[in-house]
Amino acid sequence: MGAIVPYPPPRARQEWTAYLGMVIFLGSWAMMFGSLFFAYGMVRARATAWPPPDLPELPLALPGVNTAVLAASSVMLQLAVRWLRVGKTRWVGPGLAASLALGTLFLCLQMVTWRRLLDEGLTPSGGPYPSVFYALTCFHALHVLVGIGALAWLCRGAFVGKYSAARFLPVRLWAMYWHFVGAVWGVMFVTVYVV
Amino acid sequence: MELQHIHPEPTSFLRKHLFSTDHKVIAKQFLWAGLLFLAFGGGLAMLIRWQWAFPGEPVPVVGSMLFQQSGGAITPAHYNTIFTMHGLIMIFFAITPIMIGAFGNFCIPLMIGARDMAFPLLNMLSFWTFLVSQGLIIASFFVQLGSAAAGWTTYAPLSTNVGTPGAGQTLVVAAVFVTGVATIMGGINYVTTVVRLRAPGMTYMRMPATVWGLWLTAILNVLFVPVLGSAALLLLLDRSFGTQFYIAGSSAVRGGGDPILFQHLFWIFGHPEVYILILPPWGFVTDLVSFFARKPAYWYKGSVMAMTGVTVLSAVVYGHHMFVTGMNPLLGQSFMTLTLIISVPAELLFLNWLHTIWKGSIRLTAPMLFALGTVFVFGLGGLTGLFLGTISTDLYLHDTMFVVGHFHLTMAAAAFLASFAAIYFWFPKMFGRNMNQTLAKWHFWFSVIFITLVFCGQLVAGYGGHQRRLYDPYQYTFLQHMQPLNRWTSYFGFILAASQVTFVVNWFQSIFAGSKAEQNPWEIGTLEWTVPSPPVHHNFDVIPTVHRGPHEYANPEVKKALGRDWIGQSEELPKSGKAPAEPAAAAS
Repeated sequence: MGAIVPYPPPRARQEWTAYLGMVIFLGSWAMMFGSLFFAYGMVRARATAWPPPDLPELPLALPGVNTAVLAASSVMLQLAVRWLRVGKTRWVGPGLAASLALGTLFLCLQMVTWRRLLDEGLTPSGGPYPSVFYALTCFHALHVLVGIGALAWLCRGAFVGKYSAARFLPVRLWAMYWHFVGAVWGVMFVTVYVV
Repeated sequence: MELQHIHPEPTSFLRKHLFSTDHKVIAKQFLWAGLLFLAFGGGLAMLIRWQWAFPGEPVPVVGSMLFQQSGGAITPAHYNTIFTMHGLIMIFFAITPIMIGAFGNFCIPLMIGARDMAFPLLNMLSFWTFLVSQGLIIASFFVQLGSAAAGWTTYAPLSTNVGTPGAGQTLVVAAVFVTGVATIMGGINYVTTVVRLRAPGMTYMRMPATVWGLWLTAILNVLFVPVLGSAALLLLLDRSFGTQFYIAGSSAVRGGGDPILFQHLFWIFGHPEVYILILPPWGFVTDLVSFFARKPAYWYKGSVMAMTGVTVLSAVVYGHHMFVTGMNPLLGQSFMTLTLIISVPAELLFLNWLHTIWKGSIRLTAPMLFALGTVFVFGLGGLTGLFLGTISTDLYLHDTMFVVGHFHLTMAAAAFLASFAAIYFWFPKMFGRNMNQTLAKWHFWFSVIFITLVFCGQLVAGYGGHQRRLYDPYQYTFLQHMQPLNRWTSYFGFILAASQVTFVVNWFQSIFAGSKAEQNPWEIGTLEWTVPSPPVHHNFDVIPTVHRGPHEYANPEVKKALGRDWIGQSEELPKSGKAPAEPAAAAS
């Protein structure tokens, strides 16, 4: 049964191991968000009116812009990873900084959205409709917050020259996380705001 | 060729014993934490049994201390907390840390020939996160209105503020969420470690069945614990922020949510959880019956395929917990069919175990006895499951003591006996000392006899129509004749609990004064027995190269060359030109 499994050199092996761990973690977290969307679907299917006539409708313009902001942040991060791999180390710091700035802007715009809706009378305890909205967006925002913290840490590392084509694993792993958070937002934007 | 780094052994006490990233130390930490909570959960079980035998009478010894205001008797409010916390503690804070936390950590790297887990730091964080969740559980007993009281299943709307006000339930739901995070951290580690860190030559079909069981469990954990996490998260939001996911009826705002939603999320997780708790025992048993029957595991590949099949099927059968929720009958029948299909691979495993011990040179050591006991109680549990998986009988048996007896035989008795099989088997390797075999055998006979009697007593009561969770069953005329039966069941339960002293004594005696263990006291061929007992910090000085499967016993060629009936997985057969036979070929 089978020849001896070839053993690649240690560093490449470790990178692959870390990469696989991240994939498994994100798969696990996808199940978590998937369950939340399942809950949303069930609650909504049971509701008689969505949104209820006495509650404000969710805005589309600002979250739409925000979707673009988060997507741009992901693109900047991916570019930073790319520059790191091809050796344009000088560009990595600014690239990460741009990604960080866009991520922070996303969170600020999200806070504006919440503030406006709260002022219009949409409170979390106002029934299933606001429950879904606040639970999903806030839980997602917590993940964005973690991502922003990580990007700030990466940024600091990049400006002191910690990363190079030979050592880009942290950037790549956090980029995977950040794309995941962005993808979840995409699904959330379509299902919670648009539909 | 250096394959994995050898990390220097830490020298400070804190890094060596407390904040260690060594999988063997973390395994011991999980084992201690799990055993303490096993005793805690067992104590709660004794209180439940007392209540069913002598409802309203003062509990002897501990009653005057625990239930002062009622003169030592268990009040309904206390009773609700006791049976709720018994279930939650046993499942999430006792069996899980012992089987998955302790033996997952200890066995996986050693048995696949790795120096440590793939992510040692994450491993340490997993344990400390788990400890936080245990802390939350303990804290919940000391807040106003007491700990959780909505049943271990925490069904909404009973578990929302409407049914169970107070901080205790909130803390417990938070603890379940936190322990879920710890489990996922561990799961990521186990899955990655098995995929990436197997020694050269350790193909999937050469992995010990123990590793297979733990690996499949880790996969299920990674996929389905997050679903429990989301259910707990929404419940926490409902309890603390006034959202309306699970609230219905008069307390609902604008139509409210859907209590059934909780059941869906809970059982999408909950059914895989049943297999999360039984796959490691299956792995242990598959290995142990082969090790101690001194025969190759019969159709090892078939056992692996059966375990994998059950893992896949476990994800699509959860609806059988919800037959009486008004589910569409067509959907119910689909779930019933899928559920009953699971008995096919389970049967296959069972037959493979019997075939393995058939005509074997059986050594009835303590781990072997516990493994055979696991087979026995799991057989009983599996057979009673058929009645619950079938809609027509489930409608009658649902929510009775029959359900309690069934899942205790599978999840509690089988997991309990298999955990002790593992403890007695790996103790010499873990602690470097031998356990007392005589005490261990006494422990086995008391455990297997009385655990069977207790849960069969519950089956009988349930078949007679005894509902589960009743505070005082004898308030109902039609259950009054059950009291003698329940009393006997309780007596058996008390004997079971008392007999655990044999283990406690043995445990402490062996840890502090046991005789020094040899490297390979059981004459086993898997990799962990090729290193000293206890293993050095980095496990293997040289990563071994694996030549054969884990169950190479009674091979005549080996007997001729080495003069013994076993050969190690990484051992080379002296001056023989051709490779020794594969286990599957040897079995047929």
